[in-house]
Amino acid sequence: MFTTGSKLFIGATVVSLVSTIVVGATTGGAIGMSATIGLITATVVFALVAGLNVANRDGNVTVDTPAESTGAADRGPGQSMWPMIMAVGLAGLVVGAVSKPVVFKAAVVVILAAGLEWLVQSYTSRATADAAYNKKLHQRLLHPLEFPVLGTVVIAAVVYPLSRLFLAAPKEGSLIAAIVVSVLIFVTITLIARRPGLGKGTVAGIGAVSLLALVGIGVASAVGGQRHIEVHPEITAAVCLGEASEAELEEIDHLASQQVSLGSAVAATVKITSDDRLVAFINGAPAVEYHELTVARASNVNVLFRNESSEPRRLTARLGTFAAADGTAGSENADCTTAVDPGKELIFTFRVSKPALASSTPYSLFAPGLEGQEIKLLVP
Amino acid sequence: MDRSESNVRTLGRKTKQYAWLAAGAAALLAGCAKDAPQDTFRPAGPNARDIDTVARPVFWTALVVAVIVVVAVGYAMWKYRDRGQDIPEQTHGNPKLEIALTILPAIILAAISVPTVATVFKLDKKDDTACIINVTGQQWWWEYDYPTGKCGDVEITEPIVTSGELVLPIDTPVLLRITSRDVIHSYWIPRLNGKRDAVPGRLHTLRMQADEPGIYMGQCTEFCGLSHSRMREAAISLTMADFQTWVDNQTAEYSAPEAGSLAAIGESTYIAQCSKCHQVNGLANADGTPVLADPDQYVVSGVAPNLSKLMTRTAFAGWTFDLLTEECRDELWRAPSAEFGALYLQGVYMHSPDGVATPCFDEARLREWLRDPTAMKPMFADPTNLESTGGKYRGMPNLNLNEDQIDELIAYLLDRK
Repeated sequence: MFTTGSKLFIGATVVSLVSTIVVGATTGGAIGMSATIGLITATVVFALVAGLNVANRDGNVTVDTPAESTGAADRGPGQSMWPMIMAVGLAGLVVGAVSKPVVFKAAVVVILAAGLEWLVQSYTSRATADAAYNKKLHQRLLHPLEFPVLGTVVIAAVVYPLSRLFLAAPKEGSLIAAIVVSVLIFVTITLIARRPGLGKGTVAGIGAVSLLALVGIGVASAVGGQRHIEVHPEITAAVCLGEASEAELEEIDHLASQQVSLGSAVAATVKITSDDRLVAFINGAPAVEYHELTVARASNVNVLFRNESSEPRRLTARLGTFAAADGTAGSENADCTTAVDPGKELIFTFRVSKPALASSTPYSLFAPGLEGQEIKLLVP
Repeated sequence: MDRSESNVRTLGRKTKQYAWLAAGAAALLAGCAKDAPQDTFRPAGPNARDIDTVARPVFWTALVVAVIVVVAVGYAMWKYRDRGQDIPEQTHGNPKLEIALTILPAIILAAISVPTVATVFKLDKKDDTACIINVTGQQWWWEYDYPTGKCGDVEITEPIVTSGELVLPIDTPVLLRITSRDVIHSYWIPRLNGKRDAVPGRLHTLRMQADEPGIYMGQCTEFCGLSHSRMREAAISLTMADFQTWVDNQTAEYSAPEAGSLAAIGESTYIAQCSKCHQVNGLANADGTPVLADPDQYVVSGVAPNLSKLMTRTAFAGWTFDLLTEECRDELWRAPSAEFGALYLQGVYMHSPDGVATPCFDEARLREWLRDPTAMKPMFADPTNLESTGGKYRGMPNLNLNEDQIDELIAYLLDRK
């Protein structure tokens, strides 16, 4: 009644179920709850897969009589590398327990993976007397798991060392390294493609050596640490209200990309016209000039700021002045864009948390240097 | 096999068939409803009608395709079911059939895409906007704010903030500008237009227009947490004259309760208990300074419903609980278009002979809410479990009000009309 493949999953279901009951009954707290939920999920998944395997006879439509009915295998277990890998995992577990949690977690993953592989190998190598069928069974059970995992590991083995290398190398050096690595990959693949007769072993050897070299470079880079990454000044009220130093302003303004995504969803477009007028156009409203915007409280407001004047300009939002907790008068809050070059634009996001009535100074948008021009912000 | 055994088997088979038939009929009939307020197949405005015009032929086309496919598959399954016969010869590839089966769906999809794309662009039109209303979602209610300026023929002189009910003038192309303050929500009034996601940091637009005065119900359609199912909304359409009356009332000055009245005591209770989060426009402290809510300090979303005109609405708490009694609510919902506006504008004072009595007010429900909101609507409002939100609530906590305080608050809130 039970097919070859389903027996494994029925066994796994029983083990999961028993583990669920034991863990659920004996382990408390968040860990116990998470483990129990995980085990319940595993039980359900194993039961489902077992059911599917029984229902579709291991998905084998060409053989009416399952191979196992031809007689049980009587060979002993063959050679396996998994006990060795599991031993490495156990060693990692001990090392991880006294050093870094990440080593411990990696060791757990290695032990689980090796245990699964070993379990399935032991089972499938003697599932039936037919060695070819056993091999197919092994592939059918494990390839859906192995290929995605191996793919992820290979990608990680390429991406992670490269990222360490780029972070460790000087700014210009990382650019050169990126070009060199790309060219190397391209040339190698082109050469391999032009030699179709090249043996699988040779290609695998080239791949393995390259990967090892890459991992070596990554480890060396990681040990060397990141290069010094400069911290840029943030936009503060002092910057917006024109109280920051020239050097600080210059550095902040230098950072602006002045590129706006077409997908930006803005509440309004605020523009300095070529004749130096500050006007607003409300998204969705007929295209007339507005001089006041109604803004919702406690919500991020996106405004597209476009500078059509002949001077670099920044857009500043006056965001009110509130008494401090001790009753003393607070300082005025403000936020602003970097200076936007003529003909360029930026998205400006600001947030108002209190209604206009709560502030002793009015809310508004203005551009320093454009006297008498402002857009009133109504915050109900 | 004798005859009686055969009869028993036939009977068993028939019983099974009837059971399947009954289950199928039950599933089919579950889709039927009388007076379903969120029936997308009863459009009540031009935008919903445009969608309906496309949806119906697409539905029938899809049904025909589905029937053909299901019948063909069913026939093949039945005709060639496993009866112990040999596996038939396996063939691969039939270019003529494959080309036909590629071209036919392509033609059907192309035919459907033309009106669909045209309707998508039509629904995105903004150049005829006559009124803008900002809609902001948060767990688990909708806020509407009306910017200053023209809304149809009505001039809004100062911003209006309300919640639950989107009030709009009929025959007026209204543009909703939708966003969210916390998680993703989705705004949908099925009888007036399709749905639109409310995404924090983004502003999405949705046209809204109703033909007749009436009430059109909706529901948040993006799972947004614990009380997602209780995040409802309604659009109220009024004639332009009634809309003017509504706007005038919403922007009217604060009316302080009569000194010495229970409502006046309620005002103090309100300031002490509710004003940290809920704003009542015009409310002032004894020294004349305005009472300003600061929900950003206490609530994750940073806002709480504005209660300035609570009693002009028909429901509260995410439009989940009625402020009207069942009879009055039914009367309002079934009111002819010509009478709807007059009834709606009375709010909970519907059928009040002297403007004081409130025969339509469902006091018990509001009282129950004030007693313990968390018992009526699931919210993350346990003060001992706010670590993940930095001490802020998602929803309204239990304020542990006593019955006297509840009496005072209800008296005060009844004046918010």
